[in-house]
Amino acid sequence: MRLKEVNINFTLNKENYSLSVPSNMTLLQIIRDVLHLTGTKCGCEKGECGACTVIMNGVSVNACLVIAAQVDGSSITTIEGIGNALNLHPIQKAFVEEGAVQCGFCTPGMIVSAYYLLNKNPSASDDEIREGLSGNLCRCTGYLKIIEAVKKAEKELNEIKR
Amino acid sequence: MKEKTNYIGHKVNRLDAIEKVTGEIKYMSDLYFPDMLYGKILRSKYPHALIRRIETSKAKAVEGVHAVITWEDVPGFNGFGIATPDQPVLSKDHIRYIGEAVAAVAAKSEEIAEKACALIEVEYEELPIVDNPIDALKENAPKIHENGNLCLHTEIKRGNIEKGFQESALIVENTYYTGRQEHAFLETEGGVAHIDTDGTLVIQVGSQYPQRDQLQLARCLGINPQKIRVISYPVGGAFGGKDELTIQPILALLTLKTGKPVKMVLSREESIISYWKRHPFIMHYKTGIDKEGKIVAQEVKIYEDKGAYSSLGGPVLNLAVEHACGPYRVENVHIDGYAAFTNNGVCGAFRGFGVPQVTFAMETQMDIISEKLGIDPIRLRKINALQKGDTTPIGNKLTTSVGTLKVLESIEECNLWKRRNELSTQDPKKPWIKRGVGLALTYQGTGLGVGLPDYGGAKLELREDGGFTVKIGTVDYGQGILTAYAQIVAETMRCPIEKVKVTLGDTALTADCGPTSASRGVYTGGKASIIAAEEMIQLMKNVAAPLLQASADFIDYDNGFMFLKGEPLRKVSYKEIANKFIDDGKPLPETEGYFLMPIADIEIKNAFGLPHHIFAFSAHVAYVEVNTLTGETRVLQGAEAVDGGVVINKQGYEGQVEGGFVMGLGYALMEDVIIDRGQFKNVNFSTYIIPTVKDTPFHIESIPVINPEDTGPFKAKGIAETVMVATAPAITNAIYRATGTRLYRIPATPEYVYKRLKEVENEKAHKGH
Ligand code: FES
Ligand code: FES
Repeated sequence: MRLKEVNINFTLNKENYSLSVPSNMTLLQIIRDVLHLTGTKCGCEKGECGACTVIMNGVSVNACLVIAAQVDGSSITTIEGIGNALNLHPIQKAFVEEGAVQCGFCTPGMIVSAYYLLNKNPSASDDEIREGLSGNLCRCTGYLKIIEAVKKAEKELNEIKR
Repeated sequence: MKEKTNYIGHKVNRLDAIEKVTGEIKYMSDLYFPDMLYGKILRSKYPHALIRRIETSKAKAVEGVHAVITWEDVPGFNGFGIATPDQPVLSKDHIRYIGEAVAAVAAKSEEIAEKACALIEVEYEELPIVDNPIDALKENAPKIHENGNLCLHTEIKRGNIEKGFQESALIVENTYYTGRQEHAFLETEGGVAHIDTDGTLVIQVGSQYPQRDQLQLARCLGINPQKIRVISYPVGGAFGGKDELTIQPILALLTLKTGKPVKMVLSREESIISYWKRHPFIMHYKTGIDKEGKIVAQEVKIYEDKGAYSSLGGPVLNLAVEHACGPYRVENVHIDGYAAFTNNGVCGAFRGFGVPQVTFAMETQMDIISEKLGIDPIRLRKINALQKGDTTPIGNKLTTSVGTLKVLESIEECNLWKRRNELSTQDPKKPWIKRGVGLALTYQGTGLGVGLPDYGGAKLELREDGGFTVKIGTVDYGQGILTAYAQIVAETMRCPIEKVKVTLGDTALTADCGPTSASRGVYTGGKASIIAAEEMIQLMKNVAAPLLQASADFIDYDNGFMFLKGEPLRKVSYKEIANKFIDDGKPLPETEGYFLMPIADIEIKNAFGLPHHIFAFSAHVAYVEVNTLTGETRVLQGAEAVDGGVVINKQGYEGQVEGGFVMGLGYALMEDVIIDRGQFKNVNFSTYIIPTVKDTPFHIESIPVINPEDTGPFKAKGIAETVMVATAPAITNAIYRATGTRLYRIPATPEYVYKRLKEVENEKAHKGH
């Protein structure tokens, strides 16, 4: 009972990929189970928790809701494409310094949502930050330190730009 | 200890934060092995049934299936459970809840495993359902277990309850209900099992106590625990929900059967249906108070909905019994608690462990009393507050640090409380929006209590680079013990924190430190680390002595160096000392620190585990806004004053307070897994709602109340539970201030609040006539 496969070409974190995957696979499964890039997390597979948030064609999406065929021709950025230990993105740095991380399972998705938000709206207000993160659940932190971290990163990003 | 600390009490960034923000850290569910299979569990269709027949041949015939297992494949004892191992790994004949595991498959892909599961034929004979703890205890109730439906009965009587009520000026009597909260850790139960090159079975699944998992697994598998290695760090949230075993025994069986690595990660739905929840309670409270506001008698009856299997339901009941009267002096008590089996899923450990339930009831009672007697809520609590040297309601003397008055004094000074009258108003433009400020107080035992093995353990290794690795069996699932341990070691060894590595939760590498639960992680592992570090200092001084041409007694140490007392320039670095071991052909030293948790000097008869000896205390305030047209509540601000002894890490402390407060907010207003006739009704995040960033208050003030506990590491206790416990009653008491409507049930959903608002309106109208 082999499922029909689809051929897909896409860029992920600036690298080109050409894969043949079962047609019912989700982008989340492609990222994790095929490419073994595990920074993107799975918390529900239903678009309800935001742990799987990635940027696809410039827009933040729940990777668990994107199916293989939609991935074809797209450009994707995951947490691994945002920064790394030697070169932290200001949002990542702010998360560390503000104590916005506890168990860390929501963190990659949260950071990708914040990244998208601040790209789109570099002077997001507190309310807009809350709105922008409202699709990402966190069970540990109570969110306040996450909001603080995003505000701090926003400030820093705006200073860099100046 | 030096007066000035380098790390203790400071704000220290989490040491694992960088690998978490980059996504580099590997959780157990992130692991992939070559040639790995996927596991899938077939769970019962019915909440209560007998199994007549299980037929697996069709499933076994599916291409890509490597193993199909049932109870017949459990080589050892087919049961698990921390307190009583009455839950089958794979059910043989009697199904007691809907998520119960009946069979399991390992196959080349998840899809094939799922398909094979669907082909397993199970013939059931349905049995009548028991769906609440009061019915469960009736004589004619269907029996869930052979010995009936009583899991545990604990009764404590002290003083003369009749006389107490006779002497009371006021008696307040109410019945309270609490919901079935789901842990909702973001990482569901998941991981991989494989067989190592030396034949060791390696289980990598998020858990709170690898050493106990190892023993429970050995019993199920019928193999030597030494042949099992459990690794369980890092974990994407636990909160008590990964204290008991979950998928581990089935994963282990599939791996042993196939000889291949097997991975399993539960879907959110399967996670919610299959494993632990917070026990719902029904509680009758009768409180007698004299004219001065002193509680003179209290009678409490508790019914705990245990669900289908024991797990930690008995100890949860006992902790509830112990804390049922709050941190107050009550001389005449009668507390009668029942944990009853039902077919409502399974319940187990959850942050607070029975205390959130009774705190909701007790603190609502206190709020009612305060109003009826016209005594300020904080004054009423101060009048009754337990203090050091007092005897608790269950009869033990408090000899460790007691912060009841201190947390009350601190919370009294916070902005929200001082401004409570001006804040408790209705919106001038929208008069249906009403605001109020409420308060609640609680306390929480640290550690496991009397009669249970309660110890801390740590190994400390000097590394070649002059740094240290501390190895402790507890697990960091977000609460921050990894960083706290590093701070404690760096402070004790007087070296930069960057030189300290921490290894956690691995039966092959770390010292057994007991379960990561009961707010005991920092206390036990921290204390054991200090013991190991002190021994290390001595060993290192002995090696430094000849290098410095002095006796070890004259050596001091700081900042990664050992030097002559008073002559800091005559020094050797820790690295040089490490190299000396190597040059001398000696192994680098590893010290071990073990200690027993102090316990109370009495036992409470017929209440296993009671009493506790060390307690954290906290006072919570909530500022809410209620829409009286819809019954919706929004928590605008919060504050907590917490006595957890000396704070080890300011950042971690605030993180616990904020996270705990918001988890308490969910418990107060929205969270309840609804089970109707044994069937789960809300099993994902679109129907089981937890607080989002939009529900979180605008501000939560965390007020550390530094109340040193002499027995603790750097005089710390533990705060992980108390921070969430009193939030729910603070919120419901605030709703009362806002609306004049008393709530006896949580979660206080809009439907329930609206219904109560109408009831109270009708009562008033009735009285008016
Ligand atoms: S895993 Fe995609 S939203 Fe939860
Ligand atoms: S840090 Fe644990 S879920 Fe957000």
